[in-house]
Amino acid sequence: MEKSLRIKGAESVLNLEPNSSIAIGYHALFGSHDDLMLLEIDEKLLPDILHERVALRGQPDEDSVLCTPSKTYAIKFVGNSNSPFLIPPSGQFPLCENPQDFDGEVHGFAPVIKVAPGNMELVEVAPKLDKLKLLLSKNPYGYEDVLEMDFMEDVEKNKARLYSWDDLVGRVQASDEELRNGLWALSAVEIDGFWRIVDEKYMDMILRMLLHNSVLNDWSLDALQEDDVVSVLVSDGFPEKLASHCLHVYGSKVDGDVGRSCVWRLDESRVCVHFARQILSTGKQKMETFMAEWLQRIPGGMQISFDMLEGEVLTEKLGVETWVYSFSVSSLPLTPAERFNMLFRERSKWEWKDLQPYIRDLKVPGLSSEGLLLKYTRRSQPTLDADPVFSSR
Amino acid sequence: MQIQVKCSCGAENCREWVVVELQGTVELNPSFFQTHLQNLQIGQLCRLSSSSQESYTFTVGYHELTGSRVTLKKPLLVLKKVKGFMDVDQSDDKGDLPSSKVELDVIGIIRHKILFKTRPKALISSKLIQEHVAVLWFAHVNARKK
Repeated sequence: MEKSLRIKGAESVLNLEPNSSIAIGYHALFGSHDDLMLLEIDEKLLPDILHERVALRGQPDEDSVLCTPSKTYAIKFVGNSNSPFLIPPSGQFPLCENPQDFDGEVHGFAPVIKVAPGNMELVEVAPKLDKLKLLLSKNPYGYEDVLEMDFMEDVEKNKARLYSWDDLVGRVQASDEELRNGLWALSAVEIDGFWRIVDEKYMDMILRMLLHNSVLNDWSLDALQEDDVVSVLVSDGFPEKLASHCLHVYGSKVDGDVGRSCVWRLDESRVCVHFARQILSTGKQKMETFMAEWLQRIPGGMQISFDMLEGEVLTEKLGVETWVYSFSVSSLPLTPAERFNMLFRERSKWEWKDLQPYIRDLKVPGLSSEGLLLKYTRRSQPTLDADPVFSSR
Repeated sequence: MQIQVKCSCGAENCREWVVVELQGTVELNPSFFQTHLQNLQIGQLCRLSSSSQESYTFTVGYHELTGSRVTLKKPLLVLKKVKGFMDVDQSDDKGDLPSSKVELDVIGIIRHKILFKTRPKALISSKLIQEHVAVLWFAHVNARKK
């Protein structure tokens, strides 16, 4: 018999002719082969995997997740009490390092290499971005960093607490896209190869200097030339990267004018919210006092509206007075359970209009916002036409 | 830490493996003079086809199992863990244990299985036959007793 005819594998089983048979047996290298694993995947993920665009991410003490370019999946092991015999295609099985040692695939049967105890499954999960915030907030970029630039020793010393993109990829369980969005949401900026969030006081200094310069130079806040803005801020002592970061955080690029220099328009809402946060950073204020001071701080030409502060402040009535205090959604955890825990610690009962700005950013794969409310809140409605009130479960 | 998932088979040429899945377990015949499973024949897989339907039988020892070919709702990838060594400059000093670099390699894909989900029927319980086959089918209960 020709040797090639005797080599059997998966294809011999798959292509078995009707009313014929094939013997199945144990491979010469049959064993537990713990290095061989089965992963069940959705057909739509197949191209990403076959084109090597996925990776497992996680620290040794975390359950690893699988990340595609845009999504994050938890990995669950599903046991199988049956005996699934795994048969590789002929000629493929790579353990055959020294063909002389044994008969290789030249069995008279299709060889089973292992009995799979089960397989892994993927479940889409939210990226673990709270960890990103935690890592970056340990060492925000501030005025000291600018001063320290002359003392390289200190910078070297601090590097241990700084994170490059690759460091973050190794530590944060999120896909590249989710990580980029997470960095953007934190207004993080890459400085000298490390991703940093910028201290709010320092951002305040840059923004106020920028507004000051715009008055001095008669710039329109709707059409700021990036080159001019940045070079003046640099001459004021701010690093170039931070100067342009300020435009990214408080402004948006104006489309159309693709000239030598980018043109930016300051975003009214973001600038006004910034000043409101600054005023309330020292503590709560009476509504009238706050509104008066807010109006005074914002740049000329901008309009304030209390609606801008959705998800940033809460109000409370003490006697006849209404007080405003800072309670920013950006300071809350991103995991739903922890988020609701913090919300109900702040207030035991929430009206929908107050609650909504604090939960609209929560995204849990497979759970709608209605589902989130059902899972984490108790809804009550005193009368039929009254607004529903949400309390802790 | 990041473990890259590679695909050495080349994107479109991932070779198909197959699973033959049965209820219960297959073990060495205790009365057979053999201590290793390697290279032993388990049984005979047979594809039966008639105009009305198609089925498979799998004969293990003196048991015959009846089953069918199933297309998996979602494919299974066969991954192989590959260990390499991390370059010195890749290891970092931020609290990670120095570790060897691990990669997962996709070496195959499974889209079909031949599934035998029913209890087998005994062909003949002759001791004679038992002595001539190396491996036997056991129900789960027997397997657990062992």
